[in-house]
Amino acid sequence: MANSALVLSGIDAYYGDSHVLQKVSFELGEGRLLGLLGRNGAGKSTCMNVSVGLLPPRAGVVEVFGTPVTRLPPEQIAARGVALVPQGRRVFKSLTVRENLIVAARDKDAATRHANWNAATVFAMFPRLAERANQLSAHLSGGEQQMLAIGRALMANPRVLLMDEPSEGLAPQIVAEVMTTIRKLKESGLSIVLVEQSPKLVFDIADDIVILNSGRVAVVSTAAALKNDGVDLRQHLGVF
Amino acid sequence: MNFWLLLTINSITFGGLLFLLSSGFSLIFGLMRIPNLTHGSMFMVGAYLGSTFLSGALGFTSDFWVAAILSAIEVAVLGALMERLLLRRLTGQPLAQVLVTLGVSLMVADLCLMGWGGDPISVETPAGLGGFVRAGPAVFPLYRMAIIVIAVVFAIALWLLLERTRLGAMIRAGVDDPQMARVVGIRVSQLFTIVFGLGAGLAGFAGMIGAPILSIYPGLDQDMLPLALVVVILGGTGSLLGSFVGSILIGFIYNFGQALLPELAYFVLFLPMVIVLVVRPQGLFGGQVL
Repeated sequence: MANSALVLSGIDAYYGDSHVLQKVSFELGEGRLLGLLGRNGAGKSTCMNVSVGLLPPRAGVVEVFGTPVTRLPPEQIAARGVALVPQGRRVFKSLTVRENLIVAARDKDAATRHANWNAATVFAMFPRLAERANQLSAHLSGGEQQMLAIGRALMANPRVLLMDEPSEGLAPQIVAEVMTTIRKLKESGLSIVLVEQSPKLVFDIADDIVILNSGRVAVVSTAAALKNDGVDLRQHLGVF
Repeated sequence: MNFWLLLTINSITFGGLLFLLSSGFSLIFGLMRIPNLTHGSMFMVGAYLGSTFLSGALGFTSDFWVAAILSAIEVAVLGALMERLLLRRLTGQPLAQVLVTLGVSLMVADLCLMGWGGDPISVETPAGLGGFVRAGPAVFPLYRMAIIVIAVVFAIALWLLLERTRLGAMIRAGVDDPQMARVVGIRVSQLFTIVFGLGAGLAGFAGMIGAPILSIYPGLDQDMLPLALVVVILGGTGSLLGSFVGSILIGFIYNFGQALLPELAYFVLFLPMVIVLVVRPQGLFGGQVL
């Protein structure tokens, strides 16, 4: 595998007394796309929250390009090149589309080799956002908000992009657009974790797959190796 | 006729002062979810400090406006220090925040009593603004007109800061979703300090600007704090427009209530607050439920 962009190692995380991640370990290679799969409540979003510093783990280590970031506050983890497209989009609703982008703007890091993102390049990728640049983001459709959430994450010129169920609640045509965007981002060399409930969306695009089951890592494999292996998928996801 | 006009001018003037006081209070609550009960103290301390600059007790006598700006800066620094040293340690503990800010406000009141005594202090109207403006049969005090202009200028400046700058967009993002703001790299804790200092400074400035009208006395803080609370509940937390509209409304309700129904002045003042809390708990222009 290439150099590690993001490593979660032996993570134990809790919500109150509820032990939601139990010794979770996986690794995202640089320039690769890791599909993180699991049923509802398996701990996928919690992995994202731990990675961006929203939920400090009780045990274990998070590393970004070899540097430990465990228990750093979210803004410092963002400064190290980790960006999140959160579940439910969570765009800033009292801000315009343009303002949503500029508040997240960060100069390109010297270590970042891929595209240099700014409002103009984000608008070029999502022309519909350009048309609505001065509208409040609260007035956007679900698909447009998803594009804005992706654009906002890109404005930080991240080295690691975490995408938490970007297809959730979107019409099939919009889902296809979002997946095309993710494919382009992968081709640009960005290291990506794609969280999804639907394996069908992930298998075509991912290099590696991690399946979580009840807060534990159940499967770690390449997508190619798993594609034809129906047993594990049925057992952990109840599909195929 | 003159009575009603004067009452109207007084209401708008008082609304202007309330706006300077409550806009900071509203931003602090909207961004940090801290009900800062020291906000009335900031108003009073600003007035006391300003009067000291004016009196020459420090070895120099300053101009009224210089005194107002110096006291605003000092109160802003005090507010920022309080946020850094006390309130930051109580993040996510609203009851502790209420108790600490209440305790600090009582301590500040005692310190002010010790430092400036119990007698009311009168502050002269600044030079050149002591006269009146005549418009036909009506006569308007010049200083009150100046307060209205100052409040409008500050409202526009604050609007430009919040709506037309990246810092303002970051503050609004922090009000919208503080967690997500941090995830996109906004240093929300720095914003907290800036907003707390700004809010405190505005309150201190308002204290000095209001001193020639209200005078300065022990208990001024406790008189002003409920008014700021009512404004914010009425207008909505974190909303500049809400603070502005709420301040003018309360300015009218307070002054007309005092003049026409003095025995029911507080009833008239707090009734709109009760109604808004029950019918529209996010206030007239706010996005968050109090």
